[in-house]
Amino acid sequence: MNSTVPPILEVQGLSKRFDMTQALRDVSLQLHPGEIHALVGENGAGKSTLIKILTGIQGADEGEMRLAGNPVRLANSQEAQAQGVAAIYQEPMVFPDLDVAENIFISHRNRGAWVRWGKMYEDAEKILSDLGMNLDVRAPASGLTLASQQAVEIAKAISLNVKVLIMDEPTASLSNHEVEQLFKVARKLQQENVAVLFISHRLDEVFEIADRITVLRDGQHISTRPVAEVTRESLIQEMVGREVDQFYASRQARQRGKRLLSVRNLGREATFSGIQFDLHEGEVLGFAGLVGSRRTDVGLALFGIQPADSGTIELEGQTVTLTNPRIAQKLGLAYMTEDRRKLGLAMPLSITSNITLPALGRYLAGLGFIRTDQERQTAEEYKSRLQIKAPTLAHEVGKLSGGNQQKVMFSKWLNTQPKVFILDEPTRGIDVGAKAEVHAMVRELAEQGMAILCISSDLPEVLAMSDRILVMREGRQMGIVDGATATQESVMSLAMGESREAA
Amino acid sequence: MNALQGLRPEKLRELVLLLLIVAVLVFFSSMIENYLNARLFNRVSASVALMAVLAIGQTMVVLTRNIDLSVGSIVGFTAYFVGQQLSQNNEMHPVLAIVMAVGVGALMGGINGVLVAYCRIPSIIVTLGTMALYRTLLVEYSDAQTVLTVNLPRWLLNLPSLNVFSIDRLHLRVMVLGMIAVVVLFQILLRYTSFGRKLYAIGSNPEAARMAGFANQRIVLSAFLLCGALAGLTGFMFLARFGNITVVAGIGFELKSVAAVVVGGVNIFGGSGSVVGAFLGAALIDLLENSLIRWLQISEFWRDALLGLLILTSVATDSVIMKRFQGYWARKQAQAVPETQER
Amino acid sequence: MNVWKHLRSWEGFLGLVLLLTIAINAFNSDAFLSIDNQINLFSLSIEKVIIALIMAFIIINAEIDLSVASMMGLSACALGWLVDSGVGMPMALALCLIIGMAGGLFNGFWITFMKLPSLVVTLAMLIGFRGLARVLVEDRSIRVFPKWFEDLGQHPILGPFPLAVLIFFLLLLVAVGVLRFTGFGRYVYVIGINQDMARYSGIHVTRVKLILFTASGIISALAGILFAARLGSVRGDMGLGFELDIITMVLLGGVSIFGGSGSIFGVILSILIVLYLRNGMSLSNITGHLQTGVIGMLLIFSAMVPNLKSYWESLQARSS
Repeated sequence: MNSTVPPILEVQGLSKRFDMTQALRDVSLQLHPGEIHALVGENGAGKSTLIKILTGIQGADEGEMRLAGNPVRLANSQEAQAQGVAAIYQEPMVFPDLDVAENIFISHRNRGAWVRWGKMYEDAEKILSDLGMNLDVRAPASGLTLASQQAVEIAKAISLNVKVLIMDEPTASLSNHEVEQLFKVARKLQQENVAVLFISHRLDEVFEIADRITVLRDGQHISTRPVAEVTRESLIQEMVGREVDQFYASRQARQRGKRLLSVRNLGREATFSGIQFDLHEGEVLGFAGLVGSRRTDVGLALFGIQPADSGTIELEGQTVTLTNPRIAQKLGLAYMTEDRRKLGLAMPLSITSNITLPALGRYLAGLGFIRTDQERQTAEEYKSRLQIKAPTLAHEVGKLSGGNQQKVMFSKWLNTQPKVFILDEPTRGIDVGAKAEVHAMVRELAEQGMAILCISSDLPEVLAMSDRILVMREGRQMGIVDGATATQESVMSLAMGESREAA
Repeated sequence: MNALQGLRPEKLRELVLLLLIVAVLVFFSSMIENYLNARLFNRVSASVALMAVLAIGQTMVVLTRNIDLSVGSIVGFTAYFVGQQLSQNNEMHPVLAIVMAVGVGALMGGINGVLVAYCRIPSIIVTLGTMALYRTLLVEYSDAQTVLTVNLPRWLLNLPSLNVFSIDRLHLRVMVLGMIAVVVLFQILLRYTSFGRKLYAIGSNPEAARMAGFANQRIVLSAFLLCGALAGLTGFMFLARFGNITVVAGIGFELKSVAAVVVGGVNIFGGSGSVVGAFLGAALIDLLENSLIRWLQISEFWRDALLGLLILTSVATDSVIMKRFQGYWARKQAQAVPETQER
Repeated sequence: MNVWKHLRSWEGFLGLVLLLTIAINAFNSDAFLSIDNQINLFSLSIEKVIIALIMAFIIINAEIDLSVASMMGLSACALGWLVDSGVGMPMALALCLIIGMAGGLFNGFWITFMKLPSLVVTLAMLIGFRGLARVLVEDRSIRVFPKWFEDLGQHPILGPFPLAVLIFFLLLLVAVGVLRFTGFGRYVYVIGINQDMARYSGIHVTRVKLILFTASGIISALAGILFAARLGSVRGDMGLGFELDIITMVLLGGVSIFGGSGSIFGVILSILIVLYLRNGMSLSNITGHLQTGVIGMLLIFSAMVPNLKSYWESLQARSS
């Protein structure tokens, strides 16, 4: 785009090595003022390492970096900020106990040793209103939504007179509407001649916002092209290095079995209300909605982690009260979390220990001793069935790739032999290949008669996998649509609450 | 609700503490005859002066998500050390004595700080260790001798009863004035300087503080340094107040200071709380102790048992209140979000 | 292969240090290696060693119990006070264990149901239990126990072993078995690694924690009883500051202060190191106070163990 203008940020021949892995190999990149530059690549392609080097958090082993033509070495992120390079992250780095204004200004060096609260509040209000954002500058950050926290981060970057703004997967946890807001801000920055480096897994967004796209693979620079010269297929091909003819296998009509789960008017105070649906054997019920629509909370309520406080749940015709995960598990429910690292797996433990954990009771002999041979046998089974790639079963789960960790998590819950399996974002943060495997597995489980409740923010995924789709908005059920006839647009319009609201 | 909205959680907490102190005064004055008199004020203010200074030091450390259990030993050591120096050299200038106390305390706090910030050892472990270590230092250094009142210079012994002014029999002592100065100074430090705000930031989200490029290690070290310095000052006040210093001086002060801080509403997980809160916490504890023992006619031995319970209940009510408050904020935000989205 | 790997682990390093302390002690005193001296050495610290076993469970569970030594003092003082007030010995012993259980449950209640950090709760009870002990005996020293009770504490009952040492062996066996081979032990580790994840996996986190803190209370009370029997009298300051030694033993043994890792084997090695160190220092006429200082230093050092451990292991990995 602006290739006639000299680049504001330029890196050449960057390399970085961590112990065994070459994270970056001879990577070069140019950012021009006023361009939105997308950076894409599979997990482990080296995107985060590149960002860390650009923002001074890590140093490169080789290569050089130039800002407005002058060579620089950034020792830390504060130096990077001083030079006009700032980053916002998927999970905003706010200080929950401090208020909005202070969050914006606390990392400023030039405001002196004394805090002038009045002036700070004024300045914060001005920056936020310039960006078209409406936030109480005196509110503590702990109460803000994720999107608002990101707004604070952006305001912080702008207050630093940023010339290069790096957005590291900023949209991963935002609703569509919030993404649009974010894009508006990004375009505004673009007009002010800021260079924006935008990292995302969502290709639709990349095509919507970017001027140029750079692909990284295995720590190497593959290509940088104007968006007009790139297609979805060519991009995916460059990312994975192979042809992907069809991303989502088509959904096949399935036989619906007998009714397993029947939920009526389910609610939890200040969280969600009025949820009702039936779930049958062999059926996949998708849960769609924007972030903040409280889908995960329904999942947590059904598994008894955050019990519902109104409504009824019937399982195979019996009314049940699910007040903790142990009861839910005993009754044949399983819930696979969206947050593998924090809630899903015991990272330092072996594959075997992780797989048998929820059903450990089955492996106990007298006096509570564990029958390790049976444990190992179970783990063997799942390893070959789900094709978990690991040297041994004693391998630490934390050292596996994201996709393989996901498979271990699947095994862990399949081993409890659930009748109803609740999947929360089953393909989050795993690469394209592993994604396809997960989809195939869900299909297979449904064919075997398991009832599956699939919460996903990936709309094409929900549409491809579900027999029916329940759409939520801000804790309320907006409707259930048939998976065969639903379109992205029809689901989205429900999720945004634009139709049927009166009904 | 509108009045509540304007209040930051810290202010709210300080207000509640003030109300509690008033409630305690009202309650006991109806239970104990001749309770509210000048003697009560003089006695409580004299002992609060010590504990409040120590609690403010503890506040610095707790704000950064740490804890300092060695302050009792630091108080003991500095009290003894300065006492001994003064006994040997009666001519020493008062300012020099105070500087010496603060300096020795700062040094000990600095050692804690280096171990916590640079060697990355949890503060509870470090200071549990240095609590024993500094006490050992005192025992070895003192060789089981006692600092005696008779050997101390006159000005020091007169210090506790030195008045700034008196209204009737109500005396404002110099040491109490010193404590008030410390409260004001550190309140300004924490609220209006960028260093103070960084203490909050680090306790609130250490990771974000690191990303923002704060010198986390140096700031945590400074917090321990200040805590040690204030413990040293407390040691000096201890010496002035009691005169006779043995090897057990200051034992148990670490827990009392933690109690004052926690009761004063400083979050034990860091990031929130205030100097004024810690001061009010110290005052409330002292007042309660004083009054309960007079009222129930119970033995001194009950003091510790009650103190333990008081810490527990105040932490518990605090966490309940904070949950409520956060729930309130979250609901307010939930209502605000759709509005901003329509724009 | 496996044996070799173990040898180069942190436990291997501790083994080396242990051999060193044994060598130095044996060099200084001929009597050091005799069975009598070994048992005597053990008996002198048996209360701490017994509590270290349950403390290992609690720290692996990513919690801490600072109130153990105060509970020990409380149980001992309660025993003295009860017997002094005319309660029969069996009844008094049972009541002491019940006090331990109640105290442990009390800690557990605040930690699990009120969701307060164990550090704060047990710090408060470190003061609280000690305060109660002082309320019971004030500043007296009570010496009222029947002769059989003191004999039990002071003389061998089976071969050369006194009762307390036998109890320790029994508890050691139980601790190793439970932590390493049972489902409960697995839960202790998993909760220590990640409590939320454990809850999401259907583990009864509350129950595990309650059991641990209750066990800690009971075992501390038991240690208090054994302490009273060994000394033959009780005072309000019994066991004051013991938590320092106990936590040092556990951390030095390679149990991470952040939970989720460590073994009883490592703890045993570090217990021996600490005991031999103290013994060596006593033989070299180093005062008790200075010894405490050394232990304090050792505690700080042992908290660096996770760092040192990974450094040591990376060093080994590089050389192989």
